[in-house]
Amino acid sequence: MKNSHILFSILLWGYLSCYAQNKEVLYDFVEIPQALLINPGMNASYNWYAGVPFVSGIYAQGATSGLTVNDIFAADGLDINQKVRDRALYSLNERDEVNGTFQVDILNGGFRGQEDPANFFSFGMYVEGYALNYWPKDLAILAYEGNADRLGQRFDLNDLNTRGQLINVFHFGINRQMKNNLTLGARIKFYSGILDFNSTNNSGYFVTNEGENNLLRNTLVSDMRLRTSGLNELLDADDSGRSLTGIWTNRGFFGGDPGLGFDIGGTYYFNEQLVITGSLLDIGLLYHTSDVTNYTLKGSASVEGVEFILPDALSDPNADYWQNLVDEIEELLPFEENEKNYVTFRPVKFYSSIRYNFGKQGEPNKVCNCDYRAYTSFRNLYYLNSVGAQLYAINRPRGPQLAFTAFYQRRFGKALALKATYTVDKFTASNVGLGMSIQAGPLNLYVMADNLLSYRNIADSNIASFQLGLNIISWEGNR
Amino acid sequence: MKNIPKYLYTFLFCAGILGSCAEKQDFDQLDNLDVIPTVEASVLYVETPENLINQVNGSNFYSQIINFDAFSEEFISENIVDGVMSYEVENTTSKPLYITFEFLDEAGNSLDSENFTVSAAPTAILQRDTAYGPAGRSLDIIRNTSAIRVSAANLGDNTSVSTLPNPAIFLRSSAKFRIRLE
Repeated sequence: MKNSHILFSILLWGYLSCYAQNKEVLYDFVEIPQALLINPGMNASYNWYAGVPFVSGIYAQGATSGLTVNDIFAADGLDINQKVRDRALYSLNERDEVNGTFQVDILNGGFRGQEDPANFFSFGMYVEGYALNYWPKDLAILAYEGNADRLGQRFDLNDLNTRGQLINVFHFGINRQMKNNLTLGARIKFYSGILDFNSTNNSGYFVTNEGENNLLRNTLVSDMRLRTSGLNELLDADDSGRSLTGIWTNRGFFGGDPGLGFDIGGTYYFNEQLVITGSLLDIGLLYHTSDVTNYTLKGSASVEGVEFILPDALSDPNADYWQNLVDEIEELLPFEENEKNYVTFRPVKFYSSIRYNFGKQGEPNKVCNCDYRAYTSFRNLYYLNSVGAQLYAINRPRGPQLAFTAFYQRRFGKALALKATYTVDKFTASNVGLGMSIQAGPLNLYVMADNLLSYRNIADSNIASFQLGLNIISWEGNR
Repeated sequence: MKNIPKYLYTFLFCAGILGSCAEKQDFDQLDNLDVIPTVEASVLYVETPENLINQVNGSNFYSQIINFDAFSEEFISENIVDGVMSYEVENTTSKPLYITFEFLDEAGNSLDSENFTVSAAPTAILQRDTAYGPAGRSLDIIRNTSAIRVSAANLGDNTSVSTLPNPAIFLRSSAKFRIRLE
């Protein structure tokens, strides 16, 4: 691949990296056990469930703001250089981003407590990866156009903001019906970090001004760092004779970076039909201690070329002025490498919803306190329709990111449930999603996707995600 | 018959999700992408006070070879598309001067030179731009430059002193290159 392609890919990736991670269709979809992973306090009414290994939960998402693949690569006959200038270089800003995330359930299961059936326990293991890159506006302009004829224009190094992580997560959750109208849940997560890189909180600038002595003065003030963990092992895999699978497996099973996190959530019924839910996910951190390599560029230097000022210069006429200049810059602005351990915090996610159920399917069960299932567990299933709204937020390097969702859910007997969503977020204001859960005996299959309107031309989509999974579920009373 | 709507919804759902399409994309356009930034920076600054010129007998009062590897760095030499060298000579001394700015290769051979004759002060600042590349001199001059030799000759006397403050001869230079990142 040509270097220009690599550079462009980096710039585009730098922009197009992503992790929105909003699972608005799955949230509070009580027929699907994986919804417990995004609200451990969901109103779960299963006796037990077992996800089919590796296919119980597959999720992938990509999102870009301000630019799509189609904007650059459409076969429209326009000059790609002009498209890059018009649609990326001078259109995007440093808050535009690209992100992508995936999650694959390796194992997932749950069972109701035998001694106290108000408790439902769930556990499992999944692998998750994400990458996020904000558009490095100033650095992109500098790389694409250069610094010429831009006297006084500062190129902000803070525009470089990227991070990515690949982790294996072992989790155990408990969901308990506290009262007839209240269910709470919590989940503990043990992270095993496989790969991590991040370059955030950079500061500094590069500027070219008129010189004091010479014609131009280039100044670089920098406090930048790139932290990596697990990267060297992967890059050296060929030389060390180790397979990528072996490295990932080792690091994913506590041979990598340890971490700990928690999820909490709950469901509260105001009355038979009005329900609110909420959850906080991934309150946790990873301590990166293995295969750590960090790079820093910290300092400041101004250069006006080689300066030869007589008579001082005559004191050492054989001096290598060029090398002296290079050495001086390296001293003022050292590029250094270290292996210091570091901590990263997981991106905390927040979900909440309000739901109104209507359209009775049959007579409600008698309300009593004799059994955890008598009241709330059947409520969701009892009403044919639900309508409501959801709020999602995720903590991002440049502040929280919000998404608002309106949804309608329809149940067709015991076998089929559909959920339609409409979401507004920074990526799009026309995100329509659909989810379906099919229950065929004990077998549960679910499929969901969002931003369906963009499927007319998926290359022109700012966000797209899909999820699917296969579970075996035992419901109370063989619903 | 009761289940027909259910299957109909299922069918419509699957059709909705699976029925995606995409307009034709042409990723070969990347071959036509030109990433050619124009970068500029100062090259060399030489300052010689008049009292020093007066101390040297003979006309050639100064000649110095200065190592300068910036142009022959692989990144520059392999990717330069074209460029402009800009010079500025300011003379505030009382004597006319003759300045030579030479590009030398690794062996010390002269590849190119710029000559400046400046009148005694008061005189205007002399400015010159020299192009390299398809519309100018050979780019090989830039690519092979390993050092710069600056020579100066006094075309006047060795006794007069300008009435201007801190009289001296100033040579300033900068380079503006287009670099293909490929």
